[in-house]
Formats: sequence, C-alpha cells, structure tokens
Amino acid sequence: MSRSKADLNALVERHLSNHGKSRSASFAELTGRLKRAIDNGAAEMSALALQRIVDPAMEYTSAISLYRIRRKLADKLRRPVKLRIAILSSFTTDQLKQLIDLFLFAAGLEAELYVADYGLIRQEILDPASELYNFKPSLIYIATTWRDLARRPGLSDVADSVQELVEAECKDWLGLWDTAYQRSRSQIVQNNFDSPPWRQLANHEMRHCAGFGRFVARVNGRLADSAPPFVTIHDVDHLSASAGRWAWADERFYHHAKLPCAPAYLVDYAHSVASILAAQSGAGRKCLVLDLDNTLWGGIVGDDGLGGIRLGQGDAESEGFSAFQRYVKGLRMRGVILAVCSKNEERTAREVFEKHPEMELRLEDISCFVANWDDKASNIRTIAQRLEIGLNSMVFVDDNPAERAFVRQLLPEVAVPELPADPTGYIQEVERHRYFQVVSLSTEDLRRTDFYKANEAREEAQSSVKSIDDFLASLEMIARVGPIDAASIERSVQLINRSNQFNLTTKRYSSGEVLAMLQDPAWITRTVSLADRFGDNGLICVFLGKIQRDALSIDSWLMSCRVLKRGVEQFLLGQILAVAREHGLKRILGEYVPTAKNALVKEHYGKLGFAKIWTGDDGHTKWELAAGGEEQTPKTHIRLAAEKTSAAESNA
Amino acid sequence: MGELAKDLQAVFREVFDDESIELRDSMTAMDVAGWDSLMNINLIIAVEERFGVKFAAAEISGLRGKGQNVGTFLRLIASKM
Repeated sequence: MSRSKADLNALVERHLSNHGKSRSASFAELTGRLKRAIDNGAAEMSALALQRIVDPAMEYTSAISLYRIRRKLADKLRRPVKLRIAILSSFTTDQLKQLIDLFLFAAGLEAELYVADYGLIRQEILDPASELYNFKPSLIYIATTWRDLARRPGLSDVADSVQELVEAECKDWLGLWDTAYQRSRSQIVQNNFDSPPWRQLANHEMRHCAGFGRFVARVNGRLADSAPPFVTIHDVDHLSASAGRWAWADERFYHHAKLPCAPAYLVDYAHSVASILAAQSGAGRKCLVLDLDNTLWGGIVGDDGLGGIRLGQGDAESEGFSAFQRYVKGLRMRGVILAVCSKNEERTAREVFEKHPEMELRLEDISCFVANWDDKASNIRTIAQRLEIGLNSMVFVDDNPAERAFVRQLLPEVAVPELPADPTGYIQEVERHRYFQVVSLSTEDLRRTDFYKANEAREEAQSSVKSIDDFLASLEMIARVGPIDAASIERSVQLINRSNQFNLTTKRYSSGEVLAMLQDPAWITRTVSLADRFGDNGLICVFLGKIQRDALSIDSWLMSCRVLKRGVEQFLLGQILAVAREHGLKRILGEYVPTAKNALVKEHYGKLGFAKIWTGDDGHTKWELAAGGEEQTPKTHIRLAAEKTSAAESNA
Repeated sequence: MGELAKDLQAVFREVFDDESIELRDSMTAMDVAGWDSLMNINLIIAVEERFGVKFAAAEISGLRGKGQNVGTFLRLIASKM
C-alpha cells in the first residue's frame, strides 16, 4: 500500500469512528485531501474513500460538498452509465437529484439523471413526444408530496363520496403509471403522500371520513394495494413521520424555494430513494455478520459463564440486547442471511444458542457459525466463501471499535456501522443505513435460511454415499419448469438482479423490462424450481432467450449457486432443446461475458457440448450448438414435475 | 476581521467551493461568482447549520436584495445568536 493511500485510509477511518464536534474538523481535512488526491490523478482511490464516507446522517452542506467531489471524480473516472433515471416532480428537485446521485455513486452505481421542468408530471407522461421519453429512462421516479393530491374531501362529504374520491385519485395515478410504462417500458418509483403536520379536525382527523389525514392514509393504502409489479411505492410518509412531521415540513423552504421538506432531511430522503434503486439493481446487501459478546448479549461468555451473561428481562441493558436479537431475528425471517463471527471457543459460543433460555436467536437461525481466535477479517472472508456471497453484500456488527476499524481497513467492501456504546441504540444504527432494503418479498426470501440448512443436510448425505451419481440419484430431485408468470416474476427479477457467479451475461432487468419480454412472442423465458428429499429449493434458475431467424439466442442464463453440480444445467438444456424443436429452430446460440465474479461459468457452454465460434480479447466468448432430435436430451437425475406449477404457487 | 466574519468566510468558501473568497462588508451577491437563487438556498442552509440560527421567510428571500451586503448579513446573523 502506498503512503498516500495509507494516509487517506487512516483519515477515512478517523472520520468514520469520530463522533461529535471533532467530526466536522476531520471532515474538512478529508474533503481537502480528496480534492488534492483527485487532482494528483488518484481517482480510483479517492472514489473508494468517498464511497465509504457518504452517510445518510450527514449534514446537508457536507453532503453537497461530497456531491461536488463526486462530480469532479466522474470526469476522471468515466465509468459507464448503468441507470438512466428521469425525475418528475412538482417541487424543486435540484438538491434531491444531486444527493440521489451521490448515494447511487456510493452504492457503486453510475447514473445519468434527467429532471423534468418543475410541475410537469402529467404533461411529461401524457405527451408521447416529451423530453421524458426522448431521454429513454431505465427508471422513472415520480416525486410527489401531499400537495399533488388532485382531490380533497369537503367536511360535509359522506363516507361514500369520500370513497369515490379515493378511487378517482388512485385511478388517475394508475393511468399515469400505465401510460408511462407502455411508452418507456421502464420501472416506475412513485412516492406515496406524506401527511401534513397540521390537522383541520385536530384529534378527530383520523376518525372523521372527510379528515384530510385520513384521506391521505386511505389513498396511500389504495395505491399500495393496486400498484402493478412495474411500480415501486416509495414510502415518503414514513420518512416524514420518522423525522417528526413539524420538523420535516419546514414551510419556510417550501414557500421560498418549493423544497419538499426541511433541507436537513433531504439527505436522508435521497438515501431512501437511492437505496430502493440500488436494491432494484442488485446492489443491496444480503448477509448480517454478528459478533457475540456485548453485541448479542452483555458480558463475555468465556469469562462470565452461561449464567453470567446479561440478556432478557431484569434490567434495561439486558432487555436492550434481547430487543436487538428480536430485530435481527425479524431480518432473518424475511431472508437476510445471518452469520456469527466471534472470538470465542466454538463450543462455549454454541452452548449459549443451545441452552440459554433467554436467547431469541437459535443455532438454526445462523447460516454460518464461526467462533475461533483467528482475526475477524480472515473469518469474514471464510464466511463469504462458505455462503458463496460477495464481501460487498455483507454487514458486520461488533461492539468493539478496534475490531470494527480492523475489518473496515482490511475489507473495505464490508459495511461496518458504528454501534453506539448503549445496546438499546443498536437497532437504530443498523436500521438507518437501509442496508437490507426490500423492493418485493418472495416466498423464497421467507425460507432462505432453510435452504442453507437443507444444504448442510445434503452435504452430510454426500459424504455417506460412494459416487456422485449415487448421490444425485439419492436426492430424488423434481423440477418444475415454466415461463415466467405473475406468480414467479418477483423472484425471477430478484434473481436476475442478484446473481453474480452463475450468470453468463450478468444483464440486469427491472420487472418492467421482463414484463415487456413476456408480451413479446420472440422472447422465450423459463424458470426452474427444484425440490429434493431434503426440502424445496424454490425457484433457482432463470433463462431468457430470443428467437432470431433459425436460432434461439440465449440472452441470460443464471442460477442460484446453492444448486451447483446437481445437473440443473443439463436438465435445462434439455428443456431449451425441446423449445427449439417446437419452434423448428436449428441452432442455439450462447454467450459468456466475463465479469469479476463469474469465472465459474467460463466453460459452461463448452461443458454442455457447444462449439466456440468467437473469442474476444477480454475473454468474452460466443458459442453455438446444433439443435437435433429428442435423443440429444442430456441425461440427468432430475425428474420433470407432472404439472407445471410455478414456485410461488406451490409454496403458497 | 471578527470571529463571526471569519466563520462566515469559511462557510462561503465551503458553499461556493472557492478557497480564495475574502469577505468584505461591502460585498453583495453580485460580487460572489455563482451566488444565484439556488446557491442562495445552500448558503442559507449552511449558515443555519453552522451558527444554529433560523431565518424568517422574508429574510431568506431578501438576502440578495437591494441594500443587502455581507455587512448586513453579518449583523442579521449576530442578532439571532
């Protein structure tokens, strides 16, 4: 590591672990250093440092300073643009746009943003020749406030007419979404409506059918219920409530400059929007790595013993640890993978999970348990390898500042929040970073940790049989195959945007784009769900192909790594060949586009009998297979399920 | 230059990203490159953050108006601290 890089890293670390007054001094020093480093040609190094110091709790002025550094960097780095985002709004979005860009950059996403003229939401969507469509967005963000509601109930309105107003209001927005989607085929993110802090009916506001606060809540509920898969609702009302409605609605800045909220909250607002866009683009995090002593319970189990650690009812701090465990368990229930990384004797550490009556988390909640005396950076690397996930999808929580600093310096890709000294503050600190943003929830999410557990059972079975063939036969695998449909689209899009390793082309598509493929007869889509005698793996494979003259050209082929080496590739090839026969196609065309993570499938098509027909200088290859008769179907140990049911249906 | 003026100068330098800014009482919005309506908002926000003060809507709008300069701005901030 060069000296300047080490210096910059040290400055970043000092800033991140700094609290209170000295933070602004370290910030000024840091921004000065970053600017000089960029001028001196150290763009990549500065980009990494910048990504690490961007934080949703920054002051507005600091955030804008960092945005300027981000722009300065963009000119040097010239990274390819991944997202084209159009923002439509009836308020001033200049600041919000800059801050969204900053947070997307921090998440590793290069975006080009277009902001429509103020107040033209409807015109831009309804006019087919508008700048919006010329811009060709990959995503449209409709940024609204309660002021955009076109209807307001009158106090003399009866319940039925208020209900009609709710329906009419929602119908308007649904119509706008539909038009925007039909014309742009892009995913839409729409704010819900924040309730104003003042209430015409005071305490009665939420009870009277014509109370405006109640009207806003009902419109929000109706929009959430009726939004199609290509629309994501951004919960601005929650941001307003979290900030405190009076603090959020600083009327001075609305009346002076049409800002949507107090400037102090624009930073968190932008972070919230960016976290959704990042999650949709597959840049969200998946795994929470937990320290044990003084993180999940009070005290040190190796010294204090099983009976000596503080957890559960009794005192405030013990209850705080329990509350944090319940919060973490809630994350696990919705699909966040949990791992343990602790300096402890493994037996002692496991015993707490097995025997302590107040433990909320149990061994079965933990997908990877590492307790030893090695350094934590090495152990986190091990966890990443065992779970087959990237370091940049991990979050590490530890009460010990030295461990945090150590992991941050050795593994800058891992997110390490600054836990406060008081365990009752842990939840807020983890939550405020929006590491595990959710844009949809599939049945697979709810069962993810079970999948990893079933994998362990399979591995044990593997060691007890003689040959791999016997093993695969003993699994009694059954596959369900079908085109992407309403029940499987959420999970398919998730997999398209998350898979990195078993992914031949790593093309990312939004729900909107996939829906467009489903309507186009030239596109062939397939999903594979796999069950075996140890459990159901759910939907694990997505295939997207396009018919081009006499060939089926494979656009995307991706698979979850938890079903590697089970014959799913050969099985799906059989299905693809059947499609080719059905359509009278002569050739199957495949392509491998190398990335930093997909070396695993470099020879994928070769192994399946394709011939290499083109090699680029960067390892990019193209492949071809002649489509023959039924005898060409590869032999596997996977049986096709009798009826075609999608994963989501059969899991319901 | 007093303490307050020095602190305000630091704010100007950060907001306008220009380390060469030297504030004088007689300077107006015309004398600072880039002090447009958008930057005016950033400046107000920064001053509120740094000095813990709060401006009225009319004061925000009037900051770049006739008869206003750095000197009047300094006195306005001082009156709120």
